[in-house]
Amino acid sequence: MVADAGLIALGAGIAIGAAAIATAWAQKTIGAAAVGAAAENDKMFGRGLVYMVLPETIVLFGLVIAFMLIQKI
Amino acid sequence: MYKPRAMRRTLIIGSKHDLEKTIEILHRLDIAHIIDYPADGEEGLQRGTPISSASEMSRQLVTLRASSKMLDIGPSEPAFLEKLADSQVTRDLRSQIQDIELSVFRLTEERKLLEEEQYTLSENIELLRPFTHLDLPLEEYAGYDSIAVFTGLLPDARQLKVKLPAVTDEYEFFYAPESQAAALFIVKPHAEEAKKLLLENGFTDVALPKGAGLPSMLVETWEKDNARLQEHIEGKGRDLAEYRTRHKEFILASEEYLSIQVQKAEAPVRFATTAHSFIIDCWVPEAMYPQVKDMLDKELHGVLDVEEYPVAKGEEPPTLLDNPKPINRFEFLLKLYSTPGYHDIDPTFVLSLIFPLFFGLMVGDLGYGLALILVGILFMKKFKDSEALPDIGMYIIIAGVFSAIFGLFLFGDMFGLPFAAVPGEQYSWSGLLHVAIPIASPIHKMEGIGLSQLLVISIIAGTLHLGLGLILGFISERKHSLRHAFSKIGLIFVLTALAILIFVMADWTIGQWLKPLHGTALEPFLWGFLIPLVKAGIPFGSLVIPYVTIGLGLAGVGIILSSMGGFGLVEVLEVTGHLISYTRLAAICVAKGAMAFAFNLIGLGMILSGNIVIGIIGVVLIVLMQLIVFALGSLSSGIQAVRLHYVEFFMKFFKGDGKPFTPFGYERKYTTKTLE
Repeated sequence: MVADAGLIALGAGIAIGAAAIATAWAQKTIGAAAVGAAAENDKMFGRGLVYMVLPETIVLFGLVIAFMLIQKI
Repeated sequence: MYKPRAMRRTLIIGSKHDLEKTIEILHRLDIAHIIDYPADGEEGLQRGTPISSASEMSRQLVTLRASSKMLDIGPSEPAFLEKLADSQVTRDLRSQIQDIELSVFRLTEERKLLEEEQYTLSENIELLRPFTHLDLPLEEYAGYDSIAVFTGLLPDARQLKVKLPAVTDEYEFFYAPESQAAALFIVKPHAEEAKKLLLENGFTDVALPKGAGLPSMLVETWEKDNARLQEHIEGKGRDLAEYRTRHKEFILASEEYLSIQVQKAEAPVRFATTAHSFIIDCWVPEAMYPQVKDMLDKELHGVLDVEEYPVAKGEEPPTLLDNPKPINRFEFLLKLYSTPGYHDIDPTFVLSLIFPLFFGLMVGDLGYGLALILVGILFMKKFKDSEALPDIGMYIIIAGVFSAIFGLFLFGDMFGLPFAAVPGEQYSWSGLLHVAIPIASPIHKMEGIGLSQLLVISIIAGTLHLGLGLILGFISERKHSLRHAFSKIGLIFVLTALAILIFVMADWTIGQWLKPLHGTALEPFLWGFLIPLVKAGIPFGSLVIPYVTIGLGLAGVGIILSSMGGFGLVEVLEVTGHLISYTRLAAICVAKGAMAFAFNLIGLGMILSGNIVIGIIGVVLIVLMQLIVFALGSLSSGIQAVRLHYVEFFMKFFKGDGKPFTPFGYERKYTTKTLE
């Protein structure tokens, strides 16, 4: 089972790592646009913040899957 | 508290003779939100014209604003402790403003001229400085008929010195290697060739300033001039600063006074008028309506016609939130997202309860909690004059209290170190201080079990929070569209089904929590009925899908399909995503805990190493690293706690398309009204 444990751990790492990269990628674009919008209109700050943090859920999907995998070790 | 304040549409009709007095009373009451009369209104009614004094006062106001901008007096100036009476301001207002205009404009203009002069002079000095090494008087660089002169910077003159004699011998070349200054005097017919040679060697042209005398002496004189100019400029700056201190109070007060006067004088533009009468159309909070009516009747002896106007269907009154004292501080956090619509439910109260709870759970540390309280108090003290910052200070204090409570009772840790020794962790406060501290840690962030428990807590929090959101959604949708309202019920079914599925998956954790209930009156119900019922299901791989989940899920989807059609299924996916989104509570909590744990391991290892130098480095390191954890942890916890409300919670019931209630009036900071 030791070999399996290694593979599971790798899988968990990939799950959260890839999800984190995806989140970062999405936030990069949104963040730039949100800052632009807020610079033009202060009232957009709140909305901009909401759009900015939306993709963070992706990394949480990764976290949950990683956690479920790790529990199998 | 759960709804914005009820509004009454009010019409005030009167003769133009009483217009100014009416405006005065409304302005003083500061409670009527005026609806601007549109330019293309009804036939026979036009927009009013400003009161005659408006243009003169506007002009004075523009002058004052320009002066205060030059003097750097901004709207962020704190309110006066002792406000000036209007009568103090109006006393020779006109001549005072003229004086300010003259003095400030003059001083600023003079300073600007001096600065321009200084700029030109400094530029000339920089241009001439390399040529101080050539020792040729400045007048000799110009004024020839048959000779071309090239002046500039040349990085290397060797090549030129070799090649130039091949062109002609009628030239004179001066070069200062230390400053790279080069001056070439050559007969005009060979000028073009010489120029080409120069450029090939990296020559950059410098146009020398006009003047006479040796450059070294000129630079010296000009530098003295420059210093004198600098003194003059600083003098003007001091004059301006002194003027600012002397007149700041008056400028702020008169600016405010004039703003108010202009606001009142220009108000008729917002009203509908005929040749002899005016109509003011406004929203007044229902509770204040009698007061407004009484006041207008009393002061104008009943000549005005004040009446209620039926609200047309689909019309949105402005939103004035109605929350008691400490809770209304959270309105800022809500308005940062958007102003609730008049018919929306006001979620400020829920926000004020749950935001600190989520924040506290994520930080969950006695040390950071106390530090947050301290930071919050400092924030409130430091920015007490600001509009929104004291509110933020208060959020930080409340959040700090909750963090400390969770840190003390749930996690039993301070600055990332547990109080009591925990198996698997090298350090604890008890171990470090050699005292047994009787504070247990029911949940250890750094253990797998701890993470499971936190995840289950997150899902419970999410289910309750989303459930509340959906119930509020049902309540607010019920009046508009029953179909939409029923889809919320369907979503509640789906949400419960999902939550039960996750609880069955986390069987062991939940079992641990229910243990204390063994032997109580609840035991037969729980173990005899509820748990077997929930656990019974269809095996699916290593999972068991409970019948309850299947039943509730199918019922929910059925309700959604019948009320919203296929499109409603998107919302099922959305609710699933949103529920998992709450795991960020656990994720941030553990991530922050792990960071503190790692830094403590490094820092304490160094401190306890026995070597004094390494120990001192360790102390510095641990303080810095703790600060990083504190700053990052509080920031991300704050943002995530806000986000869970903005995205997951508000989307279930909140539209936020309201326009804020802006009463006709003015919040005075520097002046008080003189009683006539």
